[in-house]
Amino acid sequence: MISRFEHLIEKSFLAAALWSMALTILIFVFMLILGLPLFREGRFFSLLFTPWIPGEEQFGIYPMIMGTAAISVLSLCFGAPLAIGVSVFISVLQPGRLGRWLKKVVVLMTGVPTVVYAFVGIFLLVPLVQSFFTAGSGMNILTASLVLALLIAPTMILIFSGSFENVPISYCNAADALGSSAVQKFVYVILPYSWRGIITGLILGAARAVGDTLVALMLAGNAVAVPGSVFDSARTLTAHIALVTAADFDSIEFRTIFAGGILLYLITLIMVLTVRFLSSLKKEASP
Amino acid sequence: MLPKKFRLLLFVQFIALTLLLTVVNVNAQALDVFKGEKGEIMISGGTAHIPVMKDAARNIMSINPNIRISIAGGGSGVGIKQVGEGLVNIGNTGRTPTNEEVAKYGLKMFKWAIDGVGVIVHKKNPVKSLKKIDLIKIYSGEIVNWKQLGGPNRPINVYTRDEASGTREVFWEKGLGKKTITLKANVVVSNGAMKSAVANDPNGIGYVSVGHMDDSISPVTLDGVNPTIKTVKDGSYKISRGLYSNTKGDPTGLTKKFIDYLFSPEGQKIVVENGFIAVK
Amino acid sequence: MNRLGEISVTFFSWLCALSLVAALGTVFVFLLFKGLGGMNLQTIFGDTNAWDALTLRKAVFNGLFPAIVGTILLVIISVVMALPVGLAAGIYLAEYGTGRAKNIFSLSCDILAGVPSILVGLFGFSLSIFLHKYISQNIYPCLLISAASLSFLVLPYLIRTTQIALEQIPSEDRLTALALGAGRLQNIFYVLIPRALSGIVSGVILSIGRCAEDTAVIMLTGVVAMAGLPQSLLAKYEALPFFIYYISSQYTDMQELQMGYAAAIILVGICAVLFVAAFFIKNRLVERMLFRI
Repeated sequence: MISRFEHLIEKSFLAAALWSMALTILIFVFMLILGLPLFREGRFFSLLFTPWIPGEEQFGIYPMIMGTAAISVLSLCFGAPLAIGVSVFISVLQPGRLGRWLKKVVVLMTGVPTVVYAFVGIFLLVPLVQSFFTAGSGMNILTASLVLALLIAPTMILIFSGSFENVPISYCNAADALGSSAVQKFVYVILPYSWRGIITGLILGAARAVGDTLVALMLAGNAVAVPGSVFDSARTLTAHIALVTAADFDSIEFRTIFAGGILLYLITLIMVLTVRFLSSLKKEASP
Repeated sequence: MLPKKFRLLLFVQFIALTLLLTVVNVNAQALDVFKGEKGEIMISGGTAHIPVMKDAARNIMSINPNIRISIAGGGSGVGIKQVGEGLVNIGNTGRTPTNEEVAKYGLKMFKWAIDGVGVIVHKKNPVKSLKKIDLIKIYSGEIVNWKQLGGPNRPINVYTRDEASGTREVFWEKGLGKKTITLKANVVVSNGAMKSAVANDPNGIGYVSVGHMDDSISPVTLDGVNPTIKTVKDGSYKISRGLYSNTKGDPTGLTKKFIDYLFSPEGQKIVVENGFIAVK
Repeated sequence: MNRLGEISVTFFSWLCALSLVAALGTVFVFLLFKGLGGMNLQTIFGDTNAWDALTLRKAVFNGLFPAIVGTILLVIISVVMALPVGLAAGIYLAEYGTGRAKNIFSLSCDILAGVPSILVGLFGFSLSIFLHKYISQNIYPCLLISAASLSFLVLPYLIRTTQIALEQIPSEDRLTALALGAGRLQNIFYVLIPRALSGIVSGVILSIGRCAEDTAVIMLTGVVAMAGLPQSLLAKYEALPFFIYYISSQYTDMQELQMGYAAAIILVGICAVLFVAAFFIKNRLVERMLFRI
């Protein structure tokens, strides 16, 4: 017999789970509702492709979309190879004490606040970039991407490492028995087997890069022009939301940031669904 | 009883303290109105006003810890929106609120200082004087290299403020004659941020409140006139503006006392100490 | 793959490892180098006497004290708000969830975890405006709204770690109490949760760290540059990460910049302590459990 009280508690467990699901949906719905005027006037799609010139009543977020794309892609270009290199080190080349120590360092890195990375970036990296490439103020896509790469690398490293170490021990043993070196084992056995993990890591790293606000806000310059080179100042969707929300909350200008928010939410949604799909694929036995 | 030496010391200390308190009291008359009050004042808006707000708040909160004053930035646009929507008690602006804004929110404006907006460059930049027509071309993106102005062969890094800024509004209107500002300009979010950005960029150019200028950057002479407190005051430097505190409807209670404090001799002294021009 | 290829892969791997350590080392050394000099009572308490400040007799104006207190309060309130919900939802997913429903809940949890923090901040901001307009004129973006928004941010972490911690309990331990006649709830509260405690606690600590360092959410929901100590839940407040962001672009003299470095060191210190604590707690609790049994 379950008392009434216990029933209540069990119901509250369910309620909590429902609330967390409701929250996820609510965040999206709020943005849809508040951005409703945009849909009604049919402006939503045009906003995605026009520039941001409030003085001329133009509130498009196209430059920011380009900014987000540029910084995210570049940071992945820096971060992904770094992450693969480090995870190869940890899992394949030096799985002993050295590798375990490095893994602890990587875990520690995930705990360093984003704002601290950006802060150090401003006072250490920006002057460096400025003096090496006198083309700009030092606050540009390049600087932001470098720091962002450092930020997303630990997450990717841990995921890559995890998937490398998940290769069935029998495969690794087979490779060792045939006399392969660590690198050969990695390239011919581990890598093909863990392609799913690698893609998952890349996607999650990309999600982190797209969703980050502070690094871009503090280091990328925040200009509203579509960036032409890595030395240009740019603004991401996230930094744009932060800058505009501080400014206004009733006008059409403010409502356009919901367009950016909806876009970001959808991008995140697609990434999460892709990762889920990947992990649900049945693992085929390698030939 | 305490030994003789200590009694004498105590007596001297007592006299000294009384004298000190009397002196302090004479100067703190303006703050007396805040004694015995309790409550909160929320302020947001113009970033140029922040140093004055901070000093005033410090004086008031020291005398009466039951009063809480919170200060946020955001720019003049934010100040108007937030005070209009009732999210703060006082919205600071570095420009006059427009007629629409006053009508929409029922704003009451209080100008307690006069300030200017001056162009600034890095200290090491040899170009320290500009014609207005050149300034317009720099900001529109027509002139892109310092060598076109007699300086070194380096690209010009243009800095501007965000859309909510009153400083930007005044600069755009009176300094640039409402001409476009290039989309490629780096955007910074406050007067303080503009100052440190230009101070750290040898090729940068920006604009900042005259009251905020210090020796970390070099002011630029515009059409022969230096942007200083003196030239703003006597009208020879044209890019000037008032510093306003706005309230929704007539201010009451603690808010009214705060605004009165800004106009008091002590308040105006704070204004001058921070590099602005007093209105009284 | 020829010898050259192998050597280059090995070389590349070592290079990456060294670069990573060098980058992290540079960050820490730079911070310590620039900031240790400023770590004194004056940076924290300004011109106010430390004892007066700590006993709340006098306000601190030029110091980090209000920001430190703000961050601590924020973290405590957010975790208190998030913990019951996260725990309950995690228990549901681990013990009661089945098939399709479990999948959907789990998916929504992943989505929530992936939502950019600025959007959570935007949600909190919109919520506060909504409440301000329709419920009470007294509600503005404030400590409570920020804490609520942060609790939304860390909820998925709490749910996931609780769920995983519970699911990792071996099935023999799961069934023992039930075999002895205990009810499902009694099993959960008296057996399963204590066994999963170390995992749950490390999840809590992870959330604490997340709340302490987040800037994007609090920027939109109530943190300001100057507010002193928050008087009530509905008051504005200061926080360390916002201070660091704000001072990085708006420092007026070297002294303020020093405070920024000091704030960064303090924040990193707080996060490091939390991390080490999580590691310790995880291990000690496990040992304790073993000895009890």
